[in-house]
Amino acid sequence: MIDQFFAGLELALRMDTFVMVAIGLFAGMLIGALPGFTTLMAMAILLPVSFFLDPIVGIPFLLGIYKGGIFGGSIPAILVSMPGTGAAIATTYDGYQLTKKGQSRKALDMALFSSIFGDTASDIFTLIMIFPIALLVMQFGPPELAAILFLSLVIVAATAGRNPLKGLLMMAIGLWFSLIGTDPIGGVERFTFGLFELKSGIPLLPMLIGVFAIPEIVNVIGDRSQQIKSAGKVLGERLKLKELKRCFKTICRSTVLGTGIGVVPGLGQVVAAMMGYTAAKNASSTPENFGKGELEGVAAAEAANNAVNGPTMVPLLTLGIPGDNITAILLGAFIAQGLRPGPELFESQGNIVFAILIVMILANVLFLVIGYLSIPFFARIVSIKSSLLIPLVIMFAVAGSYVFRSDVFDIYMLAFFGLFGVMARAANFDVMPMVMGFILGEPLEYAFGQTVAMADGNFLQFAISDRPGMLAILLITPIVGYLLWRSMNKKMKPIIDNN
Amino acid sequence: MIKMKRFTTAAALALCVGMASVGMMSVGMVSTAQAADYPEKPISLVIPLGAGGSHDLNARVMTSVIPQYLNQAMIVQLSPGAAGQKGTNEVATADADGYTLLFTHNYIDQLQQHVENLPYNPLEDFVTVARINFAPIAIVVAADSPYKSAEELFAAAKENPGKIKMAHSGNWGALFVPAAQLMQANGFELNLVPYKGGGPAMQALLSGDVDITMGFPSTLAGQLSAGKVRVLATAGDERIYDDVPSFSELGVGGDVGFMHRVVLAPKDIPEDRLTLLRDAFGKLNDDKTYQRMMGRMGENIDYMSGSDYDKLRADQKEAYESLVKEITGG
Repeated sequence: MIDQFFAGLELALRMDTFVMVAIGLFAGMLIGALPGFTTLMAMAILLPVSFFLDPIVGIPFLLGIYKGGIFGGSIPAILVSMPGTGAAIATTYDGYQLTKKGQSRKALDMALFSSIFGDTASDIFTLIMIFPIALLVMQFGPPELAAILFLSLVIVAATAGRNPLKGLLMMAIGLWFSLIGTDPIGGVERFTFGLFELKSGIPLLPMLIGVFAIPEIVNVIGDRSQQIKSAGKVLGERLKLKELKRCFKTICRSTVLGTGIGVVPGLGQVVAAMMGYTAAKNASSTPENFGKGELEGVAAAEAANNAVNGPTMVPLLTLGIPGDNITAILLGAFIAQGLRPGPELFESQGNIVFAILIVMILANVLFLVIGYLSIPFFARIVSIKSSLLIPLVIMFAVAGSYVFRSDVFDIYMLAFFGLFGVMARAANFDVMPMVMGFILGEPLEYAFGQTVAMADGNFLQFAISDRPGMLAILLITPIVGYLLWRSMNKKMKPIIDNN
Repeated sequence: MIKMKRFTTAAALALCVGMASVGMMSVGMVSTAQAADYPEKPISLVIPLGAGGSHDLNARVMTSVIPQYLNQAMIVQLSPGAAGQKGTNEVATADADGYTLLFTHNYIDQLQQHVENLPYNPLEDFVTVARINFAPIAIVVAADSPYKSAEELFAAAKENPGKIKMAHSGNWGALFVPAAQLMQANGFELNLVPYKGGGPAMQALLSGDVDITMGFPSTLAGQLSAGKVRVLATAGDERIYDDVPSFSELGVGGDVGFMHRVVLAPKDIPEDRLTLLRDAFGKLNDDKTYQRMMGRMGENIDYMSGSDYDKLRADQKEAYESLVKEITGG
């Protein structure tokens, strides 16, 4: 194994590999920054390019697009409050507030550093622990996933804010939105009002852009004082080492959480970002600053969602099973190169696997440089005059909603959720629990349906005798929920009294 | 310094506009011109399934080679949703001018009409351009499974109806239908547990959550050579693995357990354009680069002409209708 590692290192250190990784990183970052274009699309389109390259060049090229794309998604989230993916929702919260305070450059720097730290740490952990992780992954089936998703919902509800009733109401609305469309297991149509367009459910992207970006646009248009901001000042300073140090504990916590969540198949980046953010808020002595432009909030979310990446590669590399669409494309790239991921690949061509893992880690160093150099450029976007920026943002909101599925109906959805977001804000409702309810609702329902099918009518006995893991998670759920709610309440209470 | 700032601001603005125009371009060029020289603009290939799936990967290979036979680009457009109905409906309602094609499979094409109310009629709204390839399904158990042969499995399933768990990739999908067809032919009952795709279903088998699953040979190779799974039977008349019986040998004949990947066009497409497209796909099939790339992906090339496959579709419709009636008790 050690021999293979060094043979891999030798293979990895090639100039053309790094050139292609750099191209991939930059392309991924640009595409990820465009609302409506996903990393997945970019990888699918550029997949054939990798067919004609050496395995040690082609696969890292795709990995570069992947890494660049995930960070790219946080750029519009921070600059114009437009999360391009679910993973960037938690970043939107504090990132955009920092931009409003004129610290967009700082926020982008923090997003970059914490993303890369989370990614690198989880990659190294994966490289060392790949076989134990492979065993652990097998312990999580639909019953455990259902229990963890339910726990996540409870955590979101418990920490939703000062008014738990409002939070719960929004979450219920979100869960209801997730039910609209064709029932994922039975195939029955629900709440579609006979509209064919609603059969495939409510699209996520128009909802995200609608509830997060539209209210901000309305806000800026309504508030004329913002428009006279001078161009020079809005960029702000770069991130200081002192600030990075202050957030380091948070970054580490989020990395551990994200890596752990990455081990559970089917949870993914959205949950990781949310949990990292919640944990940071809970651990902070000043949780009231979260959501108002706290650098720690950006760090917590970005470190956590990137830390998911390492472990998600494990089922692909050790079993040859793609857990999601991104890894399915990577599987295609591997197979086209004559490399079939799976237990045998490590024995027969372990040096190539290690080489790819090593390039993954070295790519992060490269990314730090490319990202750091290009951030001032991206940050400039907010210095565009409001009279130009606002129409551009509106155009991106509409185009982004449309282009994802090329469906005009999605533009109506954008308008509906934009209105929803504006009304929710006016009535002082936080849209986050709604969005989380919507995102977690569908996989929760699916995993629960699978569990019921597996239990074959005898749920209690199934839980006790076959699935102690699920039972344990279900039993600690109310305790975790209560403790989080209490600690959050204690810290938040004095502020309410002061007001 | 001020000049510099202006420059970067202008550059940022240009970047914005640039990204926007790239976006607009990929939205697709709307053209109303109708010229005699077909095709005079890129052809869209709509896939009613998600990114990264086998259709997506197959299409990437097809569309990177076929332009030399069409003298135009072919652009993949993914339109997943409502179990494939969304993308299918888009093509059904698109202009039948040969610029919008559908890349689908037989279960979306012919089975769904029996389980749901569709806004289109598969046989009347579509005509086949070509069948690209097909994949025979295999019944798979874990290497340490008590079921050594398909007969043993079927007997056990008959004895304990609904006790044996099978992981499939979604209701009326590529793993569910063959299982239902086997259940119909042999008179047994399995507990069908849905998973989000063939990958998670295979993982469920390996982790012991379910007793059996199904898979296509191209996705099984790694698990087989590692000795993690055992194949009990494969679809069709011919054996695929020397020591594993085919479905016919087990008394299940006909078009059972095959996923056909097909390119369809709206029915009213002008005859000369359909011929041109059919020819192009025929030539694609003989292309060396195409063959090599498909081989690398682990996919076979089993081209069937559009007119031949259209006959098969009519048969599929009837077979699936009786299957659905039996399974749902309707």
